[in-house]
Amino acid sequence: MLRILDRLEEWLIAFLIGAATLLIFTAVLHRYSLGLANAWGWDTAYDWLFKFNLSWAQELCIYMFVWMAKFGAAYGVRTGIHVGVDVLINNLREGLRAKFVLFGLFAGALFTGMVGSFGASFVWKMAHTNATSPDLEVPVWIVYLAIPLGSYLMCFRFLQVAWSFYRTGELPHADHAHVEGLEDEVEAAQAAGRQEPVFLGEAITLSEEREHLHGGHLGDDGQGRDGAGTTGGRS
Amino acid sequence: MTALIIFALLLILMVTGMPVSIALGLTVLTYLFTMTSVPIESVALKLFTGIEKFEIMAIPFFILAGNFLTHGGVARRMIDFASSVVGHYHGGLGLSAVFACALFAAVSGSSPATVVAIGSILLPSMVKQGFPMRFGVGTIATAGGLGILIPPSIVMVMYAVSTSSSVGALFIAGIVPGIALAFMLGVTTWWIARRNHYPRQPRADWATRWRAFRKSVWGLLLIVIVMGGIYSGAFTPTEAAAVSAVYAFVIAVFVYKDMPLSRVPKVLLDSANMSAMLLYIITNAVLFAYLLTYEDIPQQIAQWMVDTGFGQIGYLAAVNVLLLVAGNIMEPTSVILITAPVLFPVAMALGIDPIHFGVMITVNMEVGMITPPVGLNLYVASGIARMGLTETSIACFPWLLTMLVFLMMITYWPALSLWLPRTLGML
Repeated sequence: MLRILDRLEEWLIAFLIGAATLLIFTAVLHRYSLGLANAWGWDTAYDWLFKFNLSWAQELCIYMFVWMAKFGAAYGVRTGIHVGVDVLINNLREGLRAKFVLFGLFAGALFTGMVGSFGASFVWKMAHTNATSPDLEVPVWIVYLAIPLGSYLMCFRFLQVAWSFYRTGELPHADHAHVEGLEDEVEAAQAAGRQEPVFLGEAITLSEEREHLHGGHLGDDGQGRDGAGTTGGRS
Repeated sequence: MTALIIFALLLILMVTGMPVSIALGLTVLTYLFTMTSVPIESVALKLFTGIEKFEIMAIPFFILAGNFLTHGGVARRMIDFASSVVGHYHGGLGLSAVFACALFAAVSGSSPATVVAIGSILLPSMVKQGFPMRFGVGTIATAGGLGILIPPSIVMVMYAVSTSSSVGALFIAGIVPGIALAFMLGVTTWWIARRNHYPRQPRADWATRWRAFRKSVWGLLLIVIVMGGIYSGAFTPTEAAAVSAVYAFVIAVFVYKDMPLSRVPKVLLDSANMSAMLLYIITNAVLFAYLLTYEDIPQQIAQWMVDTGFGQIGYLAAVNVLLLVAGNIMEPTSVILITAPVLFPVAMALGIDPIHFGVMITVNMEVGMITPPVGLNLYVASGIARMGLTETSIACFPWLLTMLVFLMMITYWPALSLWLPRTLGML
């Protein structure tokens, strides 16, 4: 059940960002082909293109991103991407740090829970009016439904993370510095012998040796090689 | 007094380590429930309408474009091109690292990713050639920050959004300072290398250069599309961002073939995750800014500044110090969103140009990433090089000094940032 919710959340936000990109790209393309067809006098093409009115694209894009932002923020709690100023508490002793971490997570749950409730009452009020959005003319309350749904989901995620932190002492941690395909490149450079490359781990040992003038202490280079995330190659 | 309470509350909540966005939101709610008569409904409305601006939507698009091109293969092409052009000068690979960082950072839009990508590929070769590790780490950690100054820059979009400035003018204004800073970091590298007789690369012939250029040009064209599109008026910044995302997708999947189609959903998910986090901070920062404006705080501070005769020079110096401290413990986007609503009106009251102020803040954020004790780039660089944080900071020192000099230049020489947009008639 929970796994379905997880997948649904991931699928929804990935779809929204992709679809919004294509939507705006199409709108730009449409505008320019309309201009071109007009300039070159292709009347049939112009008439055909003119039938499509994409003036609602901006509004739809904004709504898609609002939905993406709300559900993505909930997903972000699960991946640990919402960072704060943790220099101070990371220097505390473990037990005290854990208390602060839990406090932070509960504060998150409290805030998102409150916002969710504001949102729910706002949507409830809106649902009793005839307010519609300017271009798409959908009822406003459907658009704003993202706020209570997203916020309550986020609140749930905060509690979920707090619970797993309480049990295992582990927090999700997002890696901002991940670069795809990097290991392949380092290995490829190694294989091609371009600029005589070595793995980062070996380079570290090399520079340390040079600095300490020990020389020939190759015994501990395995440790460094692991760190570079590459294996094999030079043995 | 009110200002003091609000900021003290925010500061206390933030040092407990909770997410910045939550700290902002809770500050507003606590203040509202306890001491003011602002109707809750109007605040609730802000929560919904906070990010309903088409300009803000440039952020997810730029993140998506950057993520498609944040790939080891792209980094390698940039390195090949850079070293074929500048490799034969003193400190060959070091200079190449600065140049490659500037190119990759501009395209990928992420400083830590730049440090990791360029560092992992270049550092081993540098050390093998006889460069000290410190030298390599210093160049890469500092040059990795160049991305937020060279357009397209998410930090600049953030500034533009929170101060209602023009994204296009800011991007154009970032070009000259971006090139100037890359050049100055290059000169520092060259000078240190020359004094210590670090190795040089053999000079590449023009055919090699052309080949390396042709391979890297597809990535670099992203910058051209964004800048050209915005400057010529073909696209709004948000449209340019969406077009660049589609372009980056085509390049990564069909031209460079770095990325199989099956990876695309993962890239979409990661980009959505990152964008949602930033949009969430924006939502809460808008709320916070609304509270400040409602309590008339920026105007009061501005009035006080004008009355005490602080003046432009003193104010800019104070802003720089404040932002360097803040940029050290928080990521650039949060710093800008929290401080801009207060700093900007004061700057306007003192007659500082909004675009100049924006470029200055952006450069400042860059310096903050390598300022000890806890700059983000320092962390990342010390991680990949297995160096202590202190040693990494020492390694970065010559380049940090260069950046501080550059920050002074940007701060007190507005023409450096304003000349190009003025000449192009964008101001």
